[in-house]
Amino acid sequence: MTFLRLDSIKKNFGDVSVIKGVTFSAAKGEFVVFVGPSGCGKSTLLRMIAGLEDVSEGQLRIDDKDVTYEEPAKREVSMVFQSYALYPHMSVFENMAFGLRMAKMPENEIRTRVAEAARILQLEPLLERKPRALSGGQRQRVAIGRSIVRHPKIFLFDEPLSNLDAELRSQMRVEIAKLHRSLGATMVYVTHDQVEAMTLADRIVVLRAGLVEQIGSPTELYDRPANTFVAGFIGSPKMNFINATVSAAGPGSLVLDHVTFVGGRLVVDTPSAGKVKVGDTVIVGLRPEHLEIGSSAPVLSLTLDFAENLGGSTQLYARGEGEPVIIVTPGRPALDAGDTVKAGISPKHIYLFDAAGIAL
Amino acid sequence: MSASPAKPNRGYGRWTPAWFLAPAVLTLFLIGIYPTLFALVTSFRRYNITRPRDGFPFVGLENYVTVLTDSTFWSSLFLTAQFYLSVLPIQIVLGLAIALLLHKPGMGMLKSLARVTLVVPLATTYAVVGLIGRLIFNREFGVANQFLDLMGIAPIDWLGTPAGAFAAIVIMDVWQWTPFCALIFLAGLSMVPGEIEEAARLETSSKLALLRYVQLPYLMPGLTSIMILRSADVLKLFDMVFVMTRGGPGSATDLISIYIQRVGFRIFDLGTASAQALLLLVITIIISRLYIRLLYREVH
Repeated sequence: MTFLRLDSIKKNFGDVSVIKGVTFSAAKGEFVVFVGPSGCGKSTLLRMIAGLEDVSEGQLRIDDKDVTYEEPAKREVSMVFQSYALYPHMSVFENMAFGLRMAKMPENEIRTRVAEAARILQLEPLLERKPRALSGGQRQRVAIGRSIVRHPKIFLFDEPLSNLDAELRSQMRVEIAKLHRSLGATMVYVTHDQVEAMTLADRIVVLRAGLVEQIGSPTELYDRPANTFVAGFIGSPKMNFINATVSAAGPGSLVLDHVTFVGGRLVVDTPSAGKVKVGDTVIVGLRPEHLEIGSSAPVLSLTLDFAENLGGSTQLYARGEGEPVIIVTPGRPALDAGDTVKAGISPKHIYLFDAAGIAL
Repeated sequence: MSASPAKPNRGYGRWTPAWFLAPAVLTLFLIGIYPTLFALVTSFRRYNITRPRDGFPFVGLENYVTVLTDSTFWSSLFLTAQFYLSVLPIQIVLGLAIALLLHKPGMGMLKSLARVTLVVPLATTYAVVGLIGRLIFNREFGVANQFLDLMGIAPIDWLGTPAGAFAAIVIMDVWQWTPFCALIFLAGLSMVPGEIEEAARLETSSKLALLRYVQLPYLMPGLTSIMILRSADVLKLFDMVFVMTRGGPGSATDLISIYIQRVGFRIFDLGTASAQALLLLVITIIISRLYIRLLYREVH
C-alpha cells in the first residue's frame, strides 16, 4: 500500500531547476534512502516532503491525503537535522516535549511518551541537561527522541550522521536500523554516504542533478545497476570502468578489445549481445572486490602503482594502458610498485554498459 | 635559525602599549572621570557662582538633603518615569513588528532599502529632532494637525497644552528610537539558526508560539540592552525636549535633566545640581543592574 507518494515533483529556484520531476512512492513501514552526490537535490526533495520548501509543480501525498500545500506542522512528519537543531535554551525533556505541548497534549501523556523515548534511546540520566552539556552523539539521540515522541507518520532524516566521528557514526547507524525495526515506522533518509544507504535502506533512490537515476533495493542496485553512474556510486571502492571496442558479436557472446585485457581481448557471454555491433564502444565494469589476483584464468594485465595495507585486506592501485584499476584483495600479497599484476574475475561479475553508460 | 633573539624590535619597548592607550585614557579622564569627580566634590559644597562672595564652603550632605526633600525634583523624576514607560512599550512593540517584517524571506532589495532608512532617525541629532518636532506639531502649519484635519478632527494646540506637549515629545522619541529597537531585534532574529526555526515549524504552525518559545530567548540579550540604553538615555534626555518645549507648558515636559539644567545653569546653584546629577547616576546604575539581573540570559 502506498503511504508516501511523490508525483512528478518539481522544484525551481528562480530560473534554476533543482528537481526536474521525481515520481516515486513508498509503502508504510518502508525505509527509503535518497542518495546522490552533493547538489543532486536529495535534501531539497526531503525538505519538500517536510513542507520546508514549496513544491513548484507536482503532487505530494502522505497517507492518502494531498499535502502538497499543507503547512509543515500539519503533515505529521518529523525531521532529524544534520545540525540536530535542538532548542538551546530548553532541557532535553523540554526539547522532546515541545512539539507535544504545542499540540496541547495532556501533561501526563507527554511524560509517558518522553519517558518511553528516553528509555529507548538511553537518555534517562540526561533529561534535565541542556543541549550544550551533551556530546554530539547524545544530541543526535535527543533529536531522534524529539521525533519519536510525536509518533509521526513519517520520520525524515537529513544527513543525520555526517557531524559524528567514524566510530559513533557506525554505532548510530546500527541504532537507527534497530529503531526502524522496533517502531516499524516509515522513514526517509538522505545521505551522500553509500555505506549508510546500503546498510539502512529497504529501497534506495539514486538521484543525480534533480532526476532519479534508479530506484531499487540495495542488492538490486549493486547487482543490476541501471547505468554507469549508479554502478560507480554504489559500492566502495568505486567500480572500475574500461572502455573496450566490440571486435566480434556472435549470438549470446561478445569479443571486446582493449590492451589492458590479457591477450588484448575479452570474450563475454551475454544475452544482450545483439544490442551492439562490431566497432561499438562497450564499457566494461569490474568491481574491485570481485577481481582476484593470481587467478588461473586472468583477464586483466596491469602494472601496480601502489598498495595500501588495510590490515585484513589490501587495496591495490594498478594501471592498465592509462586506465586506473583498483583491486581489493584479502591478505597481504607480496607485491611492489612496478610489478605486473594479473587479475581474474568470475564471468557473472562482469558488468556491461553501452557507450552512453546504460546497462546492456 | 637566528641565534640572536636578544635583538629587540626597533621602536617597540616596554612602554609602547601604554603610549597607544594613552590618548583614549587621557580623553576619558578629561571628559569623563575628572568632571564626575569634580561633580562629586561640588555636591558637598555650597557652590552658587552668582554669589562668589559667600565662597564655596563644604556643607556635608546639605545639598543631598535639599534635593531629596525637593518636591519638584521628585515630580520631575516621576514625569521622566512616565515618559520612559510611555515610549518604551511602543518602541519595543513597533520595533519588534518591524524586525519581524524585515526578517521574513523575500523582497531582498526593498528590505535592504528599508534597513538603510532605519538608520536615518538614529543619525539625526537630538536638537534637530526637536526642530523637526516643532515643525510637525506647529499649530498653524504643522503636518500633525493636517493629518487630524484629514480625519475630520479639529486642530490641537500640541505644544501649548500639557497633554499635547507630552504626547508630542513621546511621538518624537518614538520616531527617533523605534528604528534602533528594530535593528537590535532584527540582529537577534537572525541569530536564531535556520534549522532550529525549521524544527519548530515542523512542530507548530503558530507564529506566536515560534516567537515566544524559539525566537524570544535569542531576543532577550538585545531587549536588555534596549532597556538599559533607553533608561540611561531618557534620564539624560535634554536637547530634543528643550528645543521643542523648554520643559513647558508649565512643567508638563519638565524632565529630570531639564530641571537639573535649570538649577545648574539658570539658578547657577551648581552644588545642588551636582548632587542631583550624581543621584541620577546612581539611579541609572541601579536600574541597569536590575535589568541585567532579571532579564539577561545568554543563549548558547
